[in-house]
Parts: sequence; C-alpha cells; structure tokens
Amino acid sequence: MIRKLGFYPGCVMSAEQYAYEMSIREVLPDLGVELVDLENTSCCGAPLRSVNLLMQMYLSARNIAVCEEKGLDMFVPCALGHLSLVETKNRLNNSKELREKIVKKLKENEGLEYRGDLEIYHTVDLLHDVIGVERIKEKVSNPVKWKIACHYGCHTIRYTEAGRPDAAEHPSKMEEIIKAIGGETWNYSEKLNCCGAPLMVTHKEAALTKTGEKLKAVKDRGFDALAIVCPYGGRLLDGKQEKAGSTIGEKLDVPVFYLTQLVGLAVGRNPDRLGLNLNLSPVDRLI
Amino acid sequence: MMGLTDLFNMSKPEGDKQKELIRQLAVLGVKNPSLCFQCAKCTSGCEAMKLLELQPHSVMASVKTGFLDEMMNSDVIWACVGCFKCKERCPQEMSPVDVMFILKNWYVMSGGSLPGDYQNLLQGILSTGYIQEPVEVLDKDNKGWSREKLGLPKRGHPKNINGFMSALSQLAAEKL
Ligand code: SF4
Ligand code: SF4
Repeated sequence: MIRKLGFYPGCVMSAEQYAYEMSIREVLPDLGVELVDLENTSCCGAPLRSVNLLMQMYLSARNIAVCEEKGLDMFVPCALGHLSLVETKNRLNNSKELREKIVKKLKENEGLEYRGDLEIYHTVDLLHDVIGVERIKEKVSNPVKWKIACHYGCHTIRYTEAGRPDAAEHPSKMEEIIKAIGGETWNYSEKLNCCGAPLMVTHKEAALTKTGEKLKAVKDRGFDALAIVCPYGGRLLDGKQEKAGSTIGEKLDVPVFYLTQLVGLAVGRNPDRLGLNLNLSPVDRLI
Repeated sequence: MMGLTDLFNMSKPEGDKQKELIRQLAVLGVKNPSLCFQCAKCTSGCEAMKLLELQPHSVMASVKTGFLDEMMNSDVIWACVGCFKCKERCPQEMSPVDVMFILKNWYVMSGGSLPGDYQNLLQGILSTGYIQEPVEVLDKDNKGWSREKLGLPKRGHPKNINGFMSALSQLAAEKL
C-alpha cells in the first residue's frame, strides 16, 4: 500500500535541522509513504502565538489550504507545527466567526481555498498508527541494540483536547517503535520534562538550563542515547549540548538521534543518507 | 506607510477588558477564568515556575479580580514556555496558557516593544514567509552543508508574497 502525503517541513527543519529531513526522505518511501513537496508553504505561525493569535491561525490555515489544493492528507514532522495546524483546524471548525474571517482573507489575498477536512499526521502517529510497528519490525535487518530514552516534546502530546499523536501523561508509541527496531527503553521520571526550546526567544539562559537538566537526567538514568521527534528540540538537545552543559556546570555527552534516523539505521538504509554526519552530539560513539 | 506596530495599535482592547478577555477566550473555545478555584495544580507542574518564578494560578487570580492592566504589562507572562501542562491538567478546564497568550497579544497591541528575538521572527515571516532562512550548517569536522549540497529540494515559499503580507497586516489591525 502506498500512502501519498503532502510534506510540510516548517521553518526550523528546513532551515537547519537537515538530519531530520534527510532521514524522513530516506526512510518513509521504503515504508510505503510517498512524500509530495508543497510549493506555496510558509511558517505555521506557532512562533507568533505570543505576538498575535490571528496571524498564527492565518499562517496555520494557509498551509492547510496549500496542502488541500493538492487533494492530499498532510505530514508535519515538527511538533509545534503539528499542534498549531491541528488546533487551528479545530478552532475554525468550532467558531463560525473565526472561520469566516480567516477563510475570506485567504481567498481575497492569496486565492487560497480553505476546507479544513484533511488528516494531519506527525512522525509518531505516522510511524506507529499508519505504517504500523509490525511493518517496521519486518523490515529490520540491523537492530539498534542500545538503551534509548524517548523524548516526545511538549507539543507532541499536549493538549489532549486538540487531538495529539500520543497520550499526554503516559505516551508509549515511541517506546514501541524503539523496541521494534531492537532497542531497549524504559520510562524515566523526567520523560515529560520540557527541553526549554521555546524560551530561546526571550530567556536564553533558562532555555539552556532546561536543555542541560533534561540531558543530564537521560545520562544519569543509564541510557546510551536519546530519541527525539521535533526539530525545535533537536536544535538544542543535539545542537547546543555543549553550551547547555556549561550552563548547568556538567559535562554532557549524550548521543541524540531523530527517531527516523534510528529507524533508518535499523532497516538498513545508507547512514550517509540519514544525515548522521550532521548530528553534533557524539552519535559516532554508537554507530 | 503605517508600521506594523501602528496596525497592532488599532486592535487594542478598549472598554471593559474583562468582558473582552472572556469573549476572546470563547472564540478560542476556552472557558471563563471565573471558574478557576485556585487549586494551583497548574503551578505545581509549570515548566517556568522554578527557573522564572511563573505562577499560572496567580495570573488567573489577578485576571479574576480585574488586574488585567497589571498582568498584561508584567514581564512574568513572557516566561511561559507554552508547554500546555496547565491547560492539560486543570481540573476546571481552564487555560492559563491561553489567557497569557491573549494578554501578551494585548501588550503588543498597546504599543509595547517586542521582547527578545520576537522582532526578528516577525520580520522574517513578513519578508520571506519563514522565521529563518536556510543556512549552511557545519558538521563536526567544520565542513559546511547547504540544502543543495545535501541534495534536498528547495523549500516552498508564499507564491504571492504581496497578498501574503497584506493578509497579515490586515489581521494585525483586527480583534480576535
Ligand atoms: S487554573 Fe485550573 S489548575 Fe490552575 S488554579 Fe485555577 S483551577 Fe486550579
Ligand atoms: S504553558 Fe506556561 S504557564 Fe502553563 S504550565 Fe507551561 S510554562 Fe507554565
């Protein structure tokens, strides 16, 4: 079965977190998902929530409309972007007033038709619910036999009312995937803690402290590595690990992988095509 | 030409701010803050409490008692990480995080200067559609990699950038 999805990259992955994008493009076709690039995309608006909620919702709605033009369901690998799009879709369904305002602006200014009746998937539900753990398991040729901690990120699991890829308080889909590809994993007390990334805009030191504390917990709990599913998180947890360490006065050396990189390694994709040379944390130690 | 700040200014709340807050929350599908019974469950799990002393239940208390101007102009609401734990866990289905989003929006509308890097994010979106442009990243050996060098396709961008900008400027001058 081939499932065709509109691929919405968002800001951070497409501007710098290339390892996530490369591993997605390398792994998904092999698992029966064909990705279709969208030409008219923009920011999802999530970074502007504090500045102007109408702008946020307009931006989310316009990207939904861009995908709907192609008649496709959508894949949004960024947790912030996924929440913003899904939430906007719900809000426009629930408020006639809001819907009319946004739909009119989309049409008049950009000639976009908004319907809001597509499915929007994130990496976690795409791998777990659409592709399925069994299917991934069948493909494994090179199990990753490490102890891997899972980090969902705030927006992957909250808030429930919006409809999220996994449960808010006891998410388990990433763990099931890690086990299917040969890894070992368990719950740890800091699993639901925030990585601090959204604070980089206004409170850099606090953001890096949160990143450092999260990574220290992963290390102290005896894991070999951390798996993530959000490019905002990756920017700090992988990209700013040294700085996060010096902020909390610790030496941090936790290999951080995107979940799609781990799946790619397990199903035997070429490591060069998974962007592993771009991870700044010490992933080489394991591969 | 009017700057974006002037446009924001046109949508600032006037009159009874408490009524306006309740109305705007309802547009978002969020309940009236008067139902908050101050159990502080939101604060006990708040991701910004320890480091930045944010207490979402206190924000709710101020809002309930009408100290909206004070709250909207206070730095503390900008400490919210936006983790949505308060909204998820509130037994009364309140949403301190959404209350703070609205208050921050009002602060901006009333001419308050954008804190931190927000000005850059906004400028980026208004000029290219994104908060940041693709960069050449360095790997561990200091070798540079662009999208092109990695074989990644060009990313999409708003085709009608004038229409795109005009929609956003119009919305800046409107009320939620
Ligand atoms: S917002 Fe909810 S959790 Fe927080 S104090 Fe009020 S009722 Fe309790
Ligand atoms: S969303 Fe903000 S106020 Fe609510 S728990 Fe998270 S950091 Fe605290």
